[in-house]
Formats: sequence, C-alpha cells, structure tokens
Amino acid sequence: MSIPSVVRGGVFVAVLVTLPMLGLQHWFLNLLVFVLMYATMSSSWNLVGGFAGYPSLGHAGFFGIGAYTLALIFKDQVLATGYEPFLLLPLVGLVGALVGWPIALISMRTRADVFAIVTITFLFVVQTLAFNLHSLTGGSQGTALPIPPFSAAGFELPFYYVMVGLLVFTMGLTFATMRSKLGLSLVSIRADEDKARGVGVRVIGVKVLAFSVSVGITSMVGAVWAYYESFIYPQFAVDPLITIAMVLMTFLGGRGTLWGPVLGAVILESGQQLLTYQLGAVQLYLIAYALIFLVIILLLPRGILPTIEDRLRLRRRRRRTAAAAALPGGPPSSNVADAASMLGRGAT
Amino acid sequence: MTNLLSVQDVTKVFGGVRAVDGASLLVKEGTVTALIGPNGSGKTTLFNIITGYLKADAGRVEFDGSDVTGSDPGRLYRKGLSRTFQQARIFPQLTVQENLVVAGGYGWRSLFTSRIGRADRERAASLLEEFRLSDISELLASELSYGQRKLLEFAAVLMSEPKLVLLDEPTAGVNPVLIETMERHIRERNAAGITFLIVEHDMTFVMRLCDPVIVLDAGRPIFAGEPSVVQNNALVLDAYLGS
Amino acid sequence: MHALVQGVILGILTGGVYALMASGQTLIFGIMKVVNLAQGAMVIMAAYLAYQLFTTFGVDPFLAIPITTILMFGLGVGVELLFLRPLRREDKSELSLLVTFAVALLIEGVLSVTWGTTYRSINAGYANSSWTLGRYQITVVRFWAFVLSLVALGLLFWLLNRTRFGRAVRATVQNPESARLLGVEAQWVSALGFGLGAATAAAAGSVYGLLYPFTPGSHYDLISRLLSIVVLGGLGSVGGAVVAGVIVSTSSAVVAATISPAWSEMTFFIVLILVLLIRPRGLFGSVNRGAI
Repeated sequence: MSIPSVVRGGVFVAVLVTLPMLGLQHWFLNLLVFVLMYATMSSSWNLVGGFAGYPSLGHAGFFGIGAYTLALIFKDQVLATGYEPFLLLPLVGLVGALVGWPIALISMRTRADVFAIVTITFLFVVQTLAFNLHSLTGGSQGTALPIPPFSAAGFELPFYYVMVGLLVFTMGLTFATMRSKLGLSLVSIRADEDKARGVGVRVIGVKVLAFSVSVGITSMVGAVWAYYESFIYPQFAVDPLITIAMVLMTFLGGRGTLWGPVLGAVILESGQQLLTYQLGAVQLYLIAYALIFLVIILLLPRGILPTIEDRLRLRRRRRRTAAAAALPGGPPSSNVADAASMLGRGAT
Repeated sequence: MTNLLSVQDVTKVFGGVRAVDGASLLVKEGTVTALIGPNGSGKTTLFNIITGYLKADAGRVEFDGSDVTGSDPGRLYRKGLSRTFQQARIFPQLTVQENLVVAGGYGWRSLFTSRIGRADRERAASLLEEFRLSDISELLASELSYGQRKLLEFAAVLMSEPKLVLLDEPTAGVNPVLIETMERHIRERNAAGITFLIVEHDMTFVMRLCDPVIVLDAGRPIFAGEPSVVQNNALVLDAYLGS
Repeated sequence: MHALVQGVILGILTGGVYALMASGQTLIFGIMKVVNLAQGAMVIMAAYLAYQLFTTFGVDPFLAIPITTILMFGLGVGVELLFLRPLRREDKSELSLLVTFAVALLIEGVLSVTWGTTYRSINAGYANSSWTLGRYQITVVRFWAFVLSLVALGLLFWLLNRTRFGRAVRATVQNPESARLLGVEAQWVSALGFGLGAATAAAAGSVYGLLYPFTPGSHYDLISRLLSIVVLGGLGSVGGAVVAGVIVSTSSAVVAATISPAWSEMTFFIVLILVLLIRPRGLFGSVNRGAI
C-alpha cells in the first residue's frame, strides 16, 4: 500500500468522524446520512457494475429485502439500547448475499444482457411481493419498525456513524479487491470476458462472488434506512429510483475506481436533497436523472475520475517522449520502444 | 510420438452449410503442425471447436488422452491447451505485466492474494525477458502496437506452461521482422517441448516452419504430409485454385 | 375445467398483443444486439397518445393506430440516431443497455409530468362488452386486439420476408459483416429497425390502453414480461417471440384463473428462471460462446 492512499483514507475517515462535532443542524446531518447511504450503495454497486462490467438494474430489490428483513426481525419488539438493529446488520447482509447468490449463478452464466434482464425482473418481482405478502410486509399499508430510542437532539448521530462504518467497510473491501487477484480477474472479465475464460480466469465464480458481496452490502444499507425511517412502504423500499441513483452516481464519478462512486454520490445526492425543497415533484427527478444519465453516457462515458486520470497519463507520456527525444542519440528505436505507441497512438 | 490432439469426425452445420464436415485429424506431440486451406474451408470453425469456443454438432475431440469434447476454453486452458486469436486479443486496461499474470491460471485461494506477488513477478519476468517486453512491462496494453500485442498475446498463453498451443494466423497483419521473431519464438518453444498447431495463410512461413501440413477443404482434411510434398499435390492445388 | 379453458382462451387472445410487443423488441436485439429496455415505456407512451386522441378528438383507439405508429416510428429512429449511434464501438454493448434504460425513464418522467400519475384507461363504448361462445366469454376488445395483432404480425412478416428492407434486416441479423460487404448499410438498417420496433409498440399501445388501466410506472411491469418472453423465444428470433408470447401469456392466464391472480404475475419470472436453467438460448435462439 502506498503512503498517499493510506494518508488519503485516513484523512477521509478523520473528516467524516469529526464532522458532526461541528454542531451541525439536523437537516444537514440528515443530508449527510443520505449521502453516506448512497455513497455506500454506489460503492457496492461498483463492485459488480463497475469492476466486472455487469450492470445490475435490480439492486433496489436487495435494498428492499434488507429493509423488510430488519422489519421482520424486530416486528413488535421493544428495544433496550436502540443499537440492536445495528448489531444485527451483518445478519441482514448475509440474507441479502444468500438471496443474491443463486440469482447470480443463474443469470451470470451467459451474457451481460441476460444478467440485466434478470436483475430488472427481479426488482419488479420483489416489489410485487412487497405489495402482496401482507402478512410479512403489511402490503401497501406499510410496516413499522421500533422507534429508535435516541434523543431528539442527537437522533441522526448513531445512524451517521453506522453509515460511516459501512462506507469505510465497503471502500476498504473495494481497495483490497483492487489490490488482489480478484480485482485483476474482474478487470479482465470486463475487458474481454471470453478471452479471460480462455486464459483460465474463473469467470463465473468471480462474478457470483462480486455480486453476492455487492447485494449483501446494499441490503445492509436498506436495513439502516428502514430503521431510520421507522415506517416503510413498498413503493419506497423497493424503488427503481434507488437503482438508478446508484448507477448514475457510479457512472458520474467513474466506474471501477475507488473514489468515483463516492464522488458521484456527494454530487448527486446533495444536489437532489437540496433541490427537494425547491422542486418537490418526483417526476422531475426522473427526467433530471434520465437526462443527466444520457449526457454522462454520451459525453463523459468514463466518468469524472478516469477522465482526469487519462488526461494526466497523456501529459506524463508527452513529457516522457520529449525527455527521451532530448537524450543524445534520440529516442530508443528497438522493436520494444515503438515511437508511435509512445505518442499515444496505440495499435489499430 | 503420441497423438496429443485427436479430432474425430467432427461436424458443424450453420443453417444448411456444413462448415466442418466429418473432419478428422491428428496432431503428434512435439510437432509444429500447420492447418491450411482456402477461404471457407472451415479452418476457423474447426479451430474454435477444438478450443472450446464453439460446440460441434457431432464428433469427438481428445486431448492428451482424455475426451474434451464440448469442454469450455477455461477447462482446456487448465489442461494445457491454449490458443491465440487472429486479432491479438489482450486486455487493454491491464498493463503488459498484468496481462501475463492474469493468464497464470491461478486457483480459488489465490484470488485473495496480492494482485502481482513476488512469484508472479518472477514468472512474468522470464517471459518478458524472452519476448523483449521488459522495457514496456508497465505500459497499458492499449498503448501497444499491433505487433507488440501479438507478441504479448503469445507470451501470455505460455504462462500456464501449456502442452499444445494453437496459433490463429500468427503472421496476419504483421511486418516481416516480426514474422521472423515469431518464427524464432515458436522454434525455441517447440524445442523446449511445446506442440503447436498453426492456422496460416502465409505459405512461405508454413513451408519453413511446419511439418506436417494438414490441408482442409470444404470442411474436412484432404491431405496431410510434409510441406514439400503438399506443395505439389494435385488435390491441394485443386482446392486452392478451384475447379 | 371451465376456468382452465377460459384461462386458455384469454391467454391466447392476450398473447397476440404480447407477441406483437415482444417481436418488436426481439427484432431490435437481432439487428443491433441491443436489449431495448424502453420497449415497455414506448407501449405506455402510445397508450397515452391513443388516450389523448380518444378523449380530445374521439378517435377510436384502433383507428388511432396509423397515427401513433408513424409518431412512434419517428421517435424510435430519433432515439437510435441521438442516443445509440454516438456510442463508441467498444462501449456499445455495455452502455446501450443503460442508454435504453435511461430513455425509458425519460419517457416515464415526461408522461408523469404531462398526464400525472393517476391511472388512466381508454373507455371506449365497447370496452366492457363481450360475446358468449357456449359457456365461455370472449371480450370484444380482446378479440379485436387479437385480430389486430395477427394483422400487424402478418405485416411484419411480410416486411421482413418480402421486401428489400426486410432482406437487408435479416442479412444484418444473421451476419453483419457479410451484410456490410454486400452493400447493406448497417447503420441505416439499425435506425429503421429501431423505428420498426417502436412502431410495433405503437400498435400494441392502443390495445393496452383499452385492456388495462395504466400509469407512467406501468412500463416496469410490462418490460419484465416482455423480457421474459423474448428470452424464452430466443433473443433475436421474431418467430420465437410470437410463440413465446402466446405460451407465457396463456400460462399466466391459466395460473390466474386456476390458482390466483397474484401468482400469475410471478409466472413471467418463473418462466425466465426456468429458461435460463434449462435452455439459456430459448426456443429458437442461437448459442454464443464468443469466439469472434
């Protein structure tokens, strides 16, 4: 691990941890909680949608599964400390991962198109079940969770810190993945899956693992959200807008990067929360999200961070060519240092 | 010399067209065998069937003593059969070194180990050295020229220490200097024990390097023998010049 | 038994409409290798257009079809040119899916803003009448919807098999490289093909509006069903989509009639899972192992 990344990570965590101590207003803390939720979800989506290149359109279904699972566990219960739901988060995550595992096995055997089809259908199925299984979910009347016994003054704080924990966990996982052979495999799958299979990469296993972990994390965020809201309705617990937001944020920040999803979440979620007070209508979000999405895909397909990285690499390479040309004897000319490639004009 | 690869009566039909029609051939261990034939003779289809990218409609493929009919490419790779592609498929977003490491054929437990560990570096280093790619090992594969990609692809499939390497038109689109380089690498590796099966159009390359030469026409082999004999065979000339 | 047969009749009649919608979707996939996630949204949009034509000008939904078809065809071509064409080749397969998804959301958003989210339906005078055939009922709307679907599918088949455009399309589906060599302009085929897919949505939209109450969010339900049908039929096979449309619709209706309506919605998902487990390429699809 390089010093800069450790420092960056450390500073980031330190800032997050100390932020609430600045005596922030409730609406701002609330905003931060949601930003953290989306940053975590986007980071988790990034594992399968960014690194592996398999765009899951059904993550909101797992968000709902996490929400309802927690609701079921704590149905009609009275909480002592109020931290019990947080302690059971890993269990919720496990449930999500266990549900996701067979879904991944079935849908990731052929192509990414089929995978997207299954995930979007899955989302719809979960939503239908949420509306129809009255005994479990309360149907369209919604279902209640125990009210968190936290003081009104510091209500958001436990949620805030739990979300910081989840985000750091997810980013840590992402970081470890990038540094391991798992990350190498994922990138090769995204680059050229058939070739990856042909050089012995365990494509199916790797994809299924990435998906299971990804949805497990999303389920945990759903559970925290449910506890935060105290009363959940199916159309909000299993809401396609959540998937869209996750995907969009990851795209905006940069798929397959560590900080990209977080950056995307900060930009878009704060924007959305702030605009809520102005615009109000959900329908306009949809149009706004859709348009932003299309603009990003067409104009900035790699996302913010990778585009910056590319520019920097280009500049570094130009400097290297200039330096090499300045050496006595000119630039090296063996078949190894192809001048054309150094100028950035790769093959075909 | 044993038969490392045995193709028996393989057939593949594409909507009425018999691309491969009851084809049978043998590749003896230790050889550099060529598979040639006019366009449309079924070379590529047969290649894809042998390497697991296409499922045959009928027939059997045996490799190194076991039946591998219908096996997928990953399994074949782990058994010691690897291939290159005509378009030089490498992973553009990975560096040259990473392209080699990812082809190392590592198992489940290794997934959680370091992306490029010391052992990986060492294994890759010797190949990088051999193929003169050491200087550019940190470049992204997307920045390489076509010729460099071909070399990289070739080097990468050697990472798993295969027994049989299938090369799909290794000289296509490549300059004469690189063709010589490729030939040299193939000879060196063949001397070290790797068997090659090469699909090629460049006849001089084939004649210099390969023995035996199998000629395919209309989906099945019509002749197999030494290069000098093949050149003058009536059937072969007929197939190429048409009747 | 009675319920079963009634379910089958209902399923076959509705199956025609689903077949029509699904054929447009699978056609788009066949030509461009793009899963059009906006197909459902386009149907709903056409339903709203038919609704508006009906409530403002009293145009019968069936008669509105020529108008909506032309409009939607234009929309389809526009979407392809504006959003799909600019995608670079490397990104295309990954991103086209998300692009069509974004288009679906855009359509949903625009529909919500224009018409609000209350459920609408086209209440033509004959909407509730039905004929009795022995002990079974056949709703007038469903019957004419079925006839319309047959006519539209017939037109589609004629277009694909008897015209030059159709031949170009089929060539592109089977082998894009060769088609290009033979002078077929793949891009031109793509744009018109997408337009054609949207046009089938238009025809189905009027019928949909007559049969079911709809809201902008209805497209999710619809697209899930269409996708299951397309996967069962085999991605890219129009004939497959037709057969699958009838099969799935009938199964769903039978389940609704004999077990419960709630379970009938699951039918589509169960079909999808079964297909992927047993025969991933569907009934008439082709296997893709990705060598070339």
